[in-house]
Amino acid sequence: MVTAGAFDGEHPLHPAGAEVLRAAFERGWARPDGLSAASAQSRHLLSSAREEIAAGLGVRTDEIEFWGEPALISPVAIMGASHFAHGTFIAGATERQEILAVGARAQSMATIPVSEMGLIDRDLLLEALESDSTVAIQAANIETGVRQNLADLAPLVGGLGAHLHLDFAAAGPLVKLPTYWSTADFPAKSWDGPAGLGIMVINANQRWANPLAINTTHRAPESFSLPLALAAAASLTGWLSDSAREAERIRSLITLMRTVIKQTIVDVDIAGSGDANQSLPHILSISILNVSGEELVAALAREGFAVASGSACVATAIEPSHVLRAMGQLTHGNIRISLMHAVAESEVKKFLALLPGIVDRLRMEVGS
Amino acid sequence: MEVNNNEVELDCIGALCPTPIIQLGKAIRDLPAGATIVLKADDPATQSDISAWARMTGNSVTAIAIHTYRVTKR
Repeated sequence: MVTAGAFDGEHPLHPAGAEVLRAAFERGWARPDGLSAASAQSRHLLSSAREEIAAGLGVRTDEIEFWGEPALISPVAIMGASHFAHGTFIAGATERQEILAVGARAQSMATIPVSEMGLIDRDLLLEALESDSTVAIQAANIETGVRQNLADLAPLVGGLGAHLHLDFAAAGPLVKLPTYWSTADFPAKSWDGPAGLGIMVINANQRWANPLAINTTHRAPESFSLPLALAAAASLTGWLSDSAREAERIRSLITLMRTVIKQTIVDVDIAGSGDANQSLPHILSISILNVSGEELVAALAREGFAVASGSACVATAIEPSHVLRAMGQLTHGNIRISLMHAVAESEVKKFLALLPGIVDRLRMEVGS
Repeated sequence: MEVNNNEVELDCIGALCPTPIIQLGKAIRDLPAGATIVLKADDPATQSDISAWARMTGNSVTAIAIHTYRVTKR
């Protein structure tokens, strides 16, 4: 498996999940709700996976729903809030686009600005909050790694009994659920589990109903793949064990990158404070003045490094990143680095040694 | 919108990011402190990037009309 230079957040399936996946297609092929012996075996496997995931995420087993289409989890969880149809939908300005898009279905929407460091404006959130609000907040941002202060914000929402949906797409199990929450979204990819499988968590003490109304007795479509659910559970356990060993090492590599990039490149914007309690350990977003994001990504790719970009000047984007805009960060010349467990320090140092030369060359080519 | 006779006008309408910001940086380089440039740029990234550029370079920017900015060199 070639992962050297993969700094773009695309991680291969965790080896523990890959091993389970192969066996699961042989043993877990039957519907868990059938009457046959094969179904009983599937039921048992699913029940074990449910327990493993609940333990990993720190929730009850009856609070977990498996979804085969992770991108639907947050929109469905938000629209299923008991007040969604008549209250205000409130979301932070740097939430994912699929969450902000839910505003089109709400009676009214309030988008809460963030500070230059990417943190939600607490006072404006309080001002917008009412008891029938539905609030969506991310545990951390997938582009910048900025962590919201859930321990502070969640009780504000809880104090009014409003619905609080939390998005863990970037944070995964690295961030714990706060004392108050209603629903939460955990894509298995957030712990190097399989794509095509996500966990919707519904607080047992909160009122929630599936707005898709597929089946009145089910809270989810239940059309997910059982082998993927089993692989997700095994990946989670393996990933948590790796994370306990690796998170601080990865954070020190990201801190090294922040320091060296500031020292070796002039006119560079680095998103967020980088403080341990305000950022994920493995994500870094930098924007370099007078450089095209597209050319920078291509130049790094030629050197064997895959990075993502939030700039509009990349082929797939028309508008620049709404996250960088909301933070007042430079949107052009942006690259996002996401380090995976087991990344070699030598790879990071090679990247840091190459980047200033690439930036100098690109700037020289445009005469800046 | 009023452009004064002594202002440099830089038309980047139709140019995609980061070209307007790069052209602005080049145009302002040789001007004396206090000189002004009127930049016209309709690329969606320019609207937010020009504020970030001003913050990073210490110059000042005011939006004076749609897609039009007055930039003063520090």
